[in-house]
Amino acid sequence: MAIRTVGIVGAGTMGQGIAISCAGAGLDVLLREKSSELAQAALVDVGEALDRDIAKWRRTESEKRAILARIKAVETIAELKPTDIIVEAVSEDLALKGAIFQELDRVVSPEDLLATNTSALSITEIAARTAHPGRVIGLHFLNPVPKVPLVEVVRGLKTTDETYKRALDFVRVLGKTGIEVFEYPGYVTTRVILPFLNEAMYVVMEGVASAEAVDTSMRLGYGLPIGPLQLADRMGLDEVMRWMKYLFDELGDIKYRPCPLLRKMIRAGHLGVKAGRGFFEYDDAGNPK
Amino acid sequence: MKVLVLNCGSSSVKFQLVETDQASAAAGRDHALAKGLVENIGGLAILRYEAEGRKPLKETGEILEHKIAVERILGLLTRPDVGVIHDRGEIEAVGHRMVHGGERFKTSVKIDDDVLSGIEDCIDLAPLHNPPNIKGYRASRDLLPVPHVAVFDTSFHQTMPREAYLYGIPYVLYQRHGIRRYGFHGTSHRFVSRRMAEILGRADDPTLRVITCHLGNGCSITAIRGGHSVDTSMGMTPLEGLLMGTRAGDIDAGIILHVMVSEELGVSEANALLNKHSGLLGISGVSNDMRALLQAEAEGNDRARLAVDVFCYRLKKYIASYTGVLGGVDAVVFTGGIGENSPVIRARSVAGLDALGLSIDPARNDVARAVEADISPEGSPSRIFVVPTNEELLIARDTYHIVAGLPPV
Repeated sequence: MAIRTVGIVGAGTMGQGIAISCAGAGLDVLLREKSSELAQAALVDVGEALDRDIAKWRRTESEKRAILARIKAVETIAELKPTDIIVEAVSEDLALKGAIFQELDRVVSPEDLLATNTSALSITEIAARTAHPGRVIGLHFLNPVPKVPLVEVVRGLKTTDETYKRALDFVRVLGKTGIEVFEYPGYVTTRVILPFLNEAMYVVMEGVASAEAVDTSMRLGYGLPIGPLQLADRMGLDEVMRWMKYLFDELGDIKYRPCPLLRKMIRAGHLGVKAGRGFFEYDDAGNPK
Repeated sequence: MKVLVLNCGSSSVKFQLVETDQASAAAGRDHALAKGLVENIGGLAILRYEAEGRKPLKETGEILEHKIAVERILGLLTRPDVGVIHDRGEIEAVGHRMVHGGERFKTSVKIDDDVLSGIEDCIDLAPLHNPPNIKGYRASRDLLPVPHVAVFDTSFHQTMPREAYLYGIPYVLYQRHGIRRYGFHGTSHRFVSRRMAEILGRADDPTLRVITCHLGNGCSITAIRGGHSVDTSMGMTPLEGLLMGTRAGDIDAGIILHVMVSEELGVSEANALLNKHSGLLGISGVSNDMRALLQAEAEGNDRARLAVDVFCYRLKKYIASYTGVLGGVDAVVFTGGIGENSPVIRARSVAGLDALGLSIDPARNDVARAVEADISPEGSPSRIFVVPTNEELLIARDTYHIVAGLPPV
């Protein structure tokens, strides 16, 4: 059965990005927030994001109108009943996600897919809160969603092959590439990138090279579009810290030990782009000074 | 013979039911019995339909795929109150507009498995257009078990010589990826140039030199000798050549690389910039619609004037260069929405070409709107004509010819 209507729970940055990607691919979207004020504010944000796209020639005015026409804000989980797939995109909090899945499981028909957008949480654990764990799957979209063409399609212990196939098809309809991942802490993207960022910080801390020199060498030496320290600044150093601790706790391997310089910078409030300062300094628009 | 003509886009189906045969085509009496359009397939679709002597019809309703759209179209064509046939069995053939035929398809062709796989091989060259064309064919093949014929936008231009179709880049790119000029709007250029030859009484004259200007939302110009395309302005994609509604047309390739770096654009942004944000719209900032631009220009909008000036200047440059290619010109033809309806654009585009024997009679030009008309002064050595295009009719005629076992037109 083809997916035509998508429900999205949580209209923060990720939820909005997923909504734009779905509507841009011609799917109808029901976007759920806790109150109508929050939902309306999210639609305003979506409109502004589309205006930025137009200014950068990514979209046209008529494409913006078509996308907005396909996104409808709703307030309750029950209103998500007519959808074919639901993508939950609330903050990374296992208890919160679990409660939402419990409710979703009761409300929507058992054939519909339930996906959680998470970058590391256990799909198996979230699915265990439902009566139909076979139709629960992880879809790890990367920020900014409309621009990143990759989605990690994460199988929990009980996710069925049918669920996986349909989720992969959904990702393809969005014009993105899906990779198959079997649940494990950090999946692929988070697990591989974070030690890389952490190691770059060690190099700076040990006085081997300046932050500028580290980023320049990795960009030019390996053809990366962005250096590891600027990438860490963009992700937010507190987020990087949180993920390193998570990998360290889950896997218990010393190679995931967060760099002491990272701790020190967070204590100084140098959290990266959002604070105007991390390994580099940024202006109000988030561009490096 | 009643021929159903289908032009399928990614979410639309344009259709005409045309009655044609050799005698009526020769007399110019073949015509559409009914026509219409289904839009927004995949969701709440809109279906517009009109038939000879019947009230036009507009319906909305969910249409989830092309096959259902074709089913609905057949339903209307046979419905007692608005239909024009009693039974779908009266449809003897289906003609499909196909965008890209690559180098293999030099004429229209009856579709079989081998042809279908050949059209699928051309998907790389027209990734946006060929897949829905193929989808439309598959959808209608199941519903109408009659001969189906493919008519390509590119095939008319397959007579271009190598020096006209090759680009100045390593030859291996042509060998490996088929990078060359293919040209588009071939059905329209073929239709109006043929009609032009008939009007001049030189239908079989191999020396006749015609330049056809198809000016719609997309624009292209073709140099034609003895009925064969020898050069055309659109290239490997429909982006090259004349300025268009939202497409840039000719551009220094270095600019694209430069802007991608200076504005930090990816491939898809650069593609959208050149295809959707450029042309008349990009220069004027007002509109991609020529009528709106001429209105704005009349009200003193300088950027609108600039956009129209660039449009006409580039067209003039092409007319002059194709006159050189042909070694003189017997007739220039204007067609397409702008070409058929805008005396101002026609006049501004040939102004100053008197040295090439081309000039316009203002009185004749002003009254020529969407009708066949000679708009050059009496005694002018080269003629300028308006000839309305009719791509669907030509698709129907090609289809008839192939099904009847006659050589393609």
